[in-house]
Amino acid sequence: MLARSCLRSTRILNGARNGATALTKRPISSYSSGASSESPMKLNMTAAASTALAIGSVAWYYHLYGSTAQAMTPAEEGLHPTKYPWVHEHWLKTFDHQALRRGFQVYREVCAACHSLSRIPYRSLVGTILTVDEAKAMAEENEYDSEPNDEGEIEQRPGKLSDYLPSPYKNDEAARAANQGALPPDLSLIVKGRHGGCDYIFSLLTGYPEEPPAGAQVGAGLNFNPYFPGTGIAMARVLYNDLVEYEDETPATTSQMAKDVVEFLNWAAEPEMDDRKRMGMKVLAVTTVLFALSVWVKRYKWASVKSRKIAYDPPKASNRVRD
Amino acid sequence: MGIWDAFTDLVEAATPWSTAEAEAPPPEEKESESQDKGSEESKDGDESKDGGESKDSEEGVEEEAEEDAGEEEEEEDDEELEDPKDKLEEACKNSKTCAPAKHHYDECVERVTNQSDDGDSEAKEDCVEEFFHLAHCATQCAAPKLWSVLK
Repeated sequence: MLARSCLRSTRILNGARNGATALTKRPISSYSSGASSESPMKLNMTAAASTALAIGSVAWYYHLYGSTAQAMTPAEEGLHPTKYPWVHEHWLKTFDHQALRRGFQVYREVCAACHSLSRIPYRSLVGTILTVDEAKAMAEENEYDSEPNDEGEIEQRPGKLSDYLPSPYKNDEAARAANQGALPPDLSLIVKGRHGGCDYIFSLLTGYPEEPPAGAQVGAGLNFNPYFPGTGIAMARVLYNDLVEYEDETPATTSQMAKDVVEFLNWAAEPEMDDRKRMGMKVLAVTTVLFALSVWVKRYKWASVKSRKIAYDPPKASNRVRD
Repeated sequence: MGIWDAFTDLVEAATPWSTAEAEAPPPEEKESESQDKGSEESKDGDESKDGGESKDSEEGVEEEAEEDAGEEEEEEDDEELEDPKDKLEEACKNSKTCAPAKHHYDECVERVTNQSDDGDSEAKEDCVEEFFHLAHCATQCAAPKLWSVLK
């Protein structure tokens, strides 16, 4: 309504401004023959002006609303991680299970002090990272609540393969209390749960600079890490050269440990990846077979259609019609 | 144990490649397996990058040498262990591609330290953004080299 009334008012204004000339023009333009009498120059000018107006209005719109305003500083956003050429991210590549084994060792010896991995049971480690005997031995190192006994009391029993990896803290509150209010996140799905995935976690683990850049404010109890949004992270640098001793005698440099543990965490987040890729290959293979079959079937079904010959055999007309 | 399992067992027995065993294999087999895997990996590296393969083999030689040598030497080597990421990124920072970023960062550091020294108060700006640009450039440049070195 408002728009329509505005339009009307401008029309009235125009009418008032132009006055008599507009009145005299109207009957001329209403004649269809009168349009042809206008010079092509004028028509060209009108077309050019309207095009310029159209372009100008669009440009003005984008000038006003085109770019979104960013209220975040780069420090608040955090440095975006560099893309690393992870082998397991290729379409047809599996996890490197030696790296998974090393990564699990790093998790067990370093990360597990603060971070839980609560969605991973020991049984899922069997065959991918550990052998059955190793996994059983590892599970038996921990104690879990057993079924209530005859008196209804719950006793502790050594772990079994079906048990989940133990968490370092009883609950989130205990974890916060032990870490000056900062909650170490559960790492089961961390690769899926963080923007940047593997690259982010690898960069975060290895990206602690020797000292924060000049002028950067680092809060109390925080550490400077460029990859963490806000750059102040409660976790200090944990991976140093030779922190663990790999059983396959890979040199345990910081980046090697970070790479291994990130690959392990990726496995923890999507343990089905190897199977999923194999299933994808199966689907492709079966599809190609079906496609080939369908091509042959099509040839078979269309054979009669393609090889037929349509001939017009004119009826023996009587001579009378011809004549 | 259905009829299908029986068939699968037959097929597995007949196929030349064996399935991975979850049970702990005897130690001798394990060694040969790991060696096989190592050779596979080096082959992979060979396909993708020639440089990586040669480095891998060099590392292998070094490791063997370490094994042969006494414990004292090993400890010394451990102390000297250097992170290839730091080394590569340092080289990248000083390289030509990252020269503008490094120039800006150095200039910023100088400016900010001068500010804080002169005024005896906190600096008005920080070099986080310049640091980001430099770190981004350096990691980007070092990423493929680093992956060819790491196992």
